[in-house]
Amino acid sequence: MSEPVLDATVLDTLRQLTPPGEPDVLAEVLELFLQEAPRRIEKLIAAWAANDAAELYKTAHSLKGSAGNIGAQPLFRVCSQLDGKGRAGDLTHVKPLVETLAAEYARVEAAIRLILKG
Amino acid sequence: MSLHVLVADDEPVSRTVVGAMLKKAGYIVHFANDGDQAWSQLNGENPPAIALLDWEMPGLAGPEVVSRIRGRQVPTPTYVILLTSRDSSADIVAGLKAGADDYVTKPADQDELIARVNVGARVVQLQSALAERVRSLEEALANVKALQTLLPMCAYCKAIRNDQNYWEKVETYFHDHSGVSFSHSYCPICYERFVKPQLEALEDVSQAAQKQKRK
Repeated sequence: MSEPVLDATVLDTLRQLTPPGEPDVLAEVLELFLQEAPRRIEKLIAAWAANDAAELYKTAHSLKGSAGNIGAQPLFRVCSQLDGKGRAGDLTHVKPLVETLAAEYARVEAAIRLILKG
Repeated sequence: MSLHVLVADDEPVSRTVVGAMLKKAGYIVHFANDGDQAWSQLNGENPPAIALLDWEMPGLAGPEVVSRIRGRQVPTPTYVILLTSRDSSADIVAGLKAGADDYVTKPADQDELIARVNVGARVVQLQSALAERVRSLEEALANVKALQTLLPMCAYCKAIRNDQNYWEKVETYFHDHSGVSFSHSYCPICYERFVKPQLEALEDVSQAAQKQKRK
């Protein structure tokens, strides 16, 4: 069985954080994610292209944080690998990770749009 | 009474989620987008009692903000929880050494986060109760000290001149300044000098009255 793009338990937890009569916390958080993530991925790719390990670490690290908060486990894991590479200053074999990152983000984005439409 | 909590994190998703968890638990939440904003809130008037600080923020990072907070000499120090997605024990030790009270790894688990913040709330409430107690003891001590300084006293009637320039009875003055109450009695010398003659005079009066009756 393949792992879900977004963890249903995490989504439920976020949904339940909404105070009565206020805007849905889950929707707010998912929208924030869609605003933030593309900018960070762009920066991450630029850092990789510039061989800037410190910047790669920084961007992968914050993207990892956001992914973790919305329960995007596969995306979280690839960010974690990139974060580790950047931290170690090891920029070898980053290309396949960046490709996985882009593919995972596309899946997460599609899943989020589906939820926000719902 | 709801406590005020500061959430400082440059990452909007994480900041919003942590803030929503705290609001749901009944806390009043304030936000900071970076370390400098966090420091200016924590260094201001009536700072939040509890601060959740991201380990890595632009400007001042979490541990630096903690060091500054610990440099403030205040009776009720901020309770600091570091938010970190690193879970290596070396980083956690470094954070605690910098002066953080606790840490939570990101992404935060709701139950764990709230349980740890509640511990912080208990510590904060104990500290402020203690600070209040120290304050009232210091006030009492200041009054006692005032008693030890030079008191102007009337050489004849023994009244004492108080701070407002009024002459008070010794009993009143001491009672107001230290809570001491007096129980009145007499010493043996005064018994001989005042009480005995008064009693004898009364005796004479009553004997004279009885003689008068018999007549």
